[in-house]
Amino acid sequence: MFFDYIPPFFMPVRLPILLLSLAACQNAMAEDFAADFEDRILPILEDHCYNCHGDGAEKGKVAFDSFGTFDELTSQTKLWDHALRNVRAGIMPPPKKDQLSPDDLATLVEWIKRVPLKLDPANPDPGRVTLRRLNRIEYRNTVRELTGHDFRTDEEFPADDTGYGFDNIGDVLTTSPMLLEKYMQAAETIVEKALPLENRITPKKTFPAGMFRGRGERGDRDWHYNLSLYDPADLTAKLKIETAGTYRVTFNAGPRGSFSYDPGRAKVKWSVDGKQQLDRDVKWGDSRVVSEIEMKWQPGEYALRFEMEPLVGKDQQPPDLGDGPPFVHLELGGITLTGPLEPEHAVHPPNYGRFFTRERVPDDEAGRDAYRREILARFAGKAFRRPADDATVEKLAAFAKQSAEGASFEKGIARAVAAILASPRFLFRLEDTLPVENPEAHPLLDEWSLASRLSYFLWSSMPDEELFRLAERGELRKNLPAQIDRMLEDGKSDEFVRNFAGQWLQARDVEGVSIDARAVMARDSGSEKQNRERFENFRRLNREIDEAEKARDEVKLTALREEMQELRAQFRGQRRVEFGGSLRHAMKREAEMLFRHLLREDRSVLELIDNDSTFLNEELANHYGVPGVRGGDMKLVKLPEDSPRGGVLTMGTVLAVTSNPTRTSPVKRGVFILDNILGTPPPPAPPNIPSLEASEKTADGEELSLREALAMHREKSLCASCHNRMDPLGLAFENFNALGSWRDKELGEALPPVEGQLITGEKFTSVNELKRVLVTSRRDDFYRCITEKLLTYALGRGPEPCDITTVDDIVAKLDQSGGKFSTLITGIIESPAFQKRQRTTP
Amino acid sequence: MNATTNRRRFLRGMGACLALPSLEAFLPRAAAATTGAARFATTASGAPLRMAFLYFPNGAVPSHWTASGAGDGFKLENTLAPLEAMKHRLQVISGLDLKNAEPGNDGAGDHARANGSFLTGVRVKKTAGSDIQAGVSIDQIAAQHIGRGTRFASLELSCDPHRKSGGCDSGYSCAYESNLAWRTPTSPLSPESNPRLVFERLFGAGDPGERGESLTRRRAQQRSILDFVMDDAKSLTKELTHRDKAKMDEYLTGVREIEERIVTAESFTDIPDPDMATPDGIPQAYDEYIRLMFRMTALAFETDATRVASLLLARDGSNRAFPEIEVAEGHHALSHHRNNADMVHKVTMIDRFYAERFAEFLSLIESKKDADGQSVLHNSMIVYGCGNSDGNRHTHTNLPIVLAGNGGGAFQPGRAWDAKENPLCNLYLSMLDTMGAPPLERFGDSTGRLAGV
Repeated sequence: MFFDYIPPFFMPVRLPILLLSLAACQNAMAEDFAADFEDRILPILEDHCYNCHGDGAEKGKVAFDSFGTFDELTSQTKLWDHALRNVRAGIMPPPKKDQLSPDDLATLVEWIKRVPLKLDPANPDPGRVTLRRLNRIEYRNTVRELTGHDFRTDEEFPADDTGYGFDNIGDVLTTSPMLLEKYMQAAETIVEKALPLENRITPKKTFPAGMFRGRGERGDRDWHYNLSLYDPADLTAKLKIETAGTYRVTFNAGPRGSFSYDPGRAKVKWSVDGKQQLDRDVKWGDSRVVSEIEMKWQPGEYALRFEMEPLVGKDQQPPDLGDGPPFVHLELGGITLTGPLEPEHAVHPPNYGRFFTRERVPDDEAGRDAYRREILARFAGKAFRRPADDATVEKLAAFAKQSAEGASFEKGIARAVAAILASPRFLFRLEDTLPVENPEAHPLLDEWSLASRLSYFLWSSMPDEELFRLAERGELRKNLPAQIDRMLEDGKSDEFVRNFAGQWLQARDVEGVSIDARAVMARDSGSEKQNRERFENFRRLNREIDEAEKARDEVKLTALREEMQELRAQFRGQRRVEFGGSLRHAMKREAEMLFRHLLREDRSVLELIDNDSTFLNEELANHYGVPGVRGGDMKLVKLPEDSPRGGVLTMGTVLAVTSNPTRTSPVKRGVFILDNILGTPPPPAPPNIPSLEASEKTADGEELSLREALAMHREKSLCASCHNRMDPLGLAFENFNALGSWRDKELGEALPPVEGQLITGEKFTSVNELKRVLVTSRRDDFYRCITEKLLTYALGRGPEPCDITTVDDIVAKLDQSGGKFSTLITGIIESPAFQKRQRTTP
Repeated sequence: MNATTNRRRFLRGMGACLALPSLEAFLPRAAAATTGAARFATTASGAPLRMAFLYFPNGAVPSHWTASGAGDGFKLENTLAPLEAMKHRLQVISGLDLKNAEPGNDGAGDHARANGSFLTGVRVKKTAGSDIQAGVSIDQIAAQHIGRGTRFASLELSCDPHRKSGGCDSGYSCAYESNLAWRTPTSPLSPESNPRLVFERLFGAGDPGERGESLTRRRAQQRSILDFVMDDAKSLTKELTHRDKAKMDEYLTGVREIEERIVTAESFTDIPDPDMATPDGIPQAYDEYIRLMFRMTALAFETDATRVASLLLARDGSNRAFPEIEVAEGHHALSHHRNNADMVHKVTMIDRFYAERFAEFLSLIESKKDADGQSVLHNSMIVYGCGNSDGNRHTHTNLPIVLAGNGGGAFQPGRAWDAKENPLCNLYLSMLDTMGAPPLERFGDSTGRLAGV
């Protein structure tokens, strides 16, 4: 957009009135609006905005007096949306300029909402939600719920594109031919794995290793025990039999060993009901140890016993020769109990009830036809998340019948189920509305659609039986509060935490973010240069060795190899710092668990930022320097009085994902807060300038501190307007390195104390003070930000000006409740945007 | 006993398989299959002619992208040194531009634009969310012409499986960075990043010997379901409004395309079944990952499963670190090196790392022979390049471009030459002509054909 320069002498004329009268105003209402604008709003704009955005000035290419008519001025939806955001967040007027009084601010805000943005609180516009395809997480959860099969979409499907920071945005979720091919293939695989093709099978039950107690026992829910062949074990279990009959008991254990040979060996014994089944040696490289026995049993309890006696002492174990420490152990599963084997005890296969509704398939053709319709109507209704119409059920039943020709009844059903899983009604979330009397009103969603909106919002999955039942009776909307409570208490709401918090706080990314722990530590301690020299030496030696080999210069080669050995020896034994998988995982869990804790306990969302406790295990606590935490399980830990931890901003996950591979990035950290906490993301950097942080090294390799580099470019006016907002926030976190651990030094030099100021004036001298500022004077900004993010996630579309009323209502309610999570969630669900669909314009 | 041995066994198997001449047995038949259609994508000698586009991220250090001379005097140095052995099969073309990747009025976002316009040649629409818009990519135009000539019209691959949470480059949708190929201006073709799935799609699932049957079964199953879902989608479309309808159209297009593919596939019998284990998935090490994807591409070309392929080595703006070559910093961060010697050195190492993988791919397909006795590489046109030229300054003129292959005899490789400010799209049009496509008047910002290829 380009605004022509308007000569100053032209300016005293206020365009709106002049041109409006020429346009012979369309209606009285418009004239009232225009007069009202002249009367109340224009003076505010003149006093506080025209200095830069009027009277010939057009900073940021914005001039409020550059529009020909009042109508043109008020039809600039984007402009007013921005203006509203900026005045509310205190970004405009800028700090050094004359500030708006609270009254003027309120007047202006009310006017922008009512007039240019045309928000009508009586009939709020719910906005436009585009037909949403299930993303790959929703697909996986839905299929698991529907068929019991866990189809690994993370491996089989391409990643979904994201929009507005989330991967469930209708407009962005495209369906390529390749994806469709994958959907069809997936439907076949799922049916093959989940749908039983037999009516009856012999009962079979698998027990976890946890059934065994005694010497060598582990957790009672463990599927496998890994028992070292160097340790004795004596494990027993009792098998409870309820029906008399013949049973098969299968024992199955596998030796597992390191890559390199390990001499460990042990004698293994296995007995069932006092009968010895196994008595043999087990060693590295052996194949599986399997034993099967059939027993005729009456109801009662029968003893199982497993013993292992080491035959080789631990002192025989060889050292690590570079392939990892040698080991050999027996992976002991539980047992499989098959039976009673007598045919009269046969049962329906697992999963039978998910697809079939009757004990037996009818023998007559008419009965079979009816049964097909019964099965497919039920399954399609669940899969489509709303009742399948008769025509569709007929088509499915005919398809099943045709496919059953020359095959079994069940095979025919399997084909129809595959068709259902490939159907657009399954893959897309189709919505319908209730009829409305007033054609101007935006209709409410029908109850089926509402059930799906709820379940995909809070569970990332399809509705369950109870939601379906309520929808069928038309009672879901009436019972919303109770249902929301129930859904949040359900373990499936962990998906909401993983997917919403995982993307909002980017916790998903910490496990994959590329950070070089060694380089980070070297940078802090100032040994970067030394490391660089060392690698250059290695490289030089390798090159020279190559050359010497080519030249067959044996003497030189020997000398070089010796030098290499020495160099290696010099650095051997240096502590290696790792930013390993378990630590990254703990970081991710910390963010998720805090979010979940606050959600479940209905605490304040402010505690996401400012908190005296957090979730830690021993490894993460050590990383943070929090004393007294033991064990691998994450638990809620009250932090020491002076700890800078607590709240998401000083969690490892946020600190790491906002860093570069070898060092912190105050700019990225600042942007993170502006974007995800304050809701005022800075515009992208202007084109064709290198990232400002890259200027930290001068051409001859001398390093400026990041702080110096940033200070330098805050002086350039082009950069200053945004960097004045980002840098002070990001620099407050300089005491946390790219791994998220505390540091006092960078490049070997002590870091200066934290001292910063928000663009809105609030000062802080520590990271904890910054957190306080965010939850007190900038509280409404945070409420608005989290509400908008959550609304985006819940609706699968980006924020629109028509959401302002909804967001403002929720922010007001959060203010009253002290930020309770339930206020937020309920506020979103009860909002018109969530409950209604935009009317279709004829 | 552990993953390492599995991988080793697999790689051994693969080496063995690639040395086998057995796959060549399929070529005469495959070549014959196309004679019915127009002689599109066929060399003068009747062998298949292929086209591939390989994208590396973040430009290359221009001062180290060194090539000069022709014939015996053709010298490849620094970044390009790994290509020395294949130099008789390639030309290094300087002076090609991608003007639509420049900022224009769109501001920041050079990485998204470079990636998004590389094969489309157009200025992609700056939007972070809903209304993405690029253009039909050149590989897809070729694929549309090839139609039923091969089992797959085209193959889209990527070695960059991770997608970030949050937004992508400066207000551009991630779609521009994660895709090279665009079927229509609004629908990108998501590339496949899992080598196992690429393999299974090409040859079927299971062990050697079982795969043909698995493909036939898959096809029969798909066919039976297509009619039902097509019907369903059509009846739904009637109830939908504009944007929802467009979403359902994507679905319907997919259905039609699968249908066409089945018809095409049924005209091919004796689908090759490589005598090798199916790849496990994505290898841990990046170099192995790229190598494996290149092997999949080579297999697809060698067995004439397709004649059009694109491979995104990493999305532009990629900040991957390269522990493999002891570069700890992220590629993108390093690429803004401001001529700091250490950083320039590291970027050059990364540029060279990619060039080495490319060189391996070229040797691989050079070792495969077509029915006409020429190598697969001889009968190919392979563009290796990036939509950014100087990563430090985000320029999009004088792009780093290597054109490998003799185009079946149409090209004169073995030299470095200057295209003198020609649009990259001019090269694409020349390639399309060489493929035998009906002449296209314009593509992207083209101004004509690139003479002298």
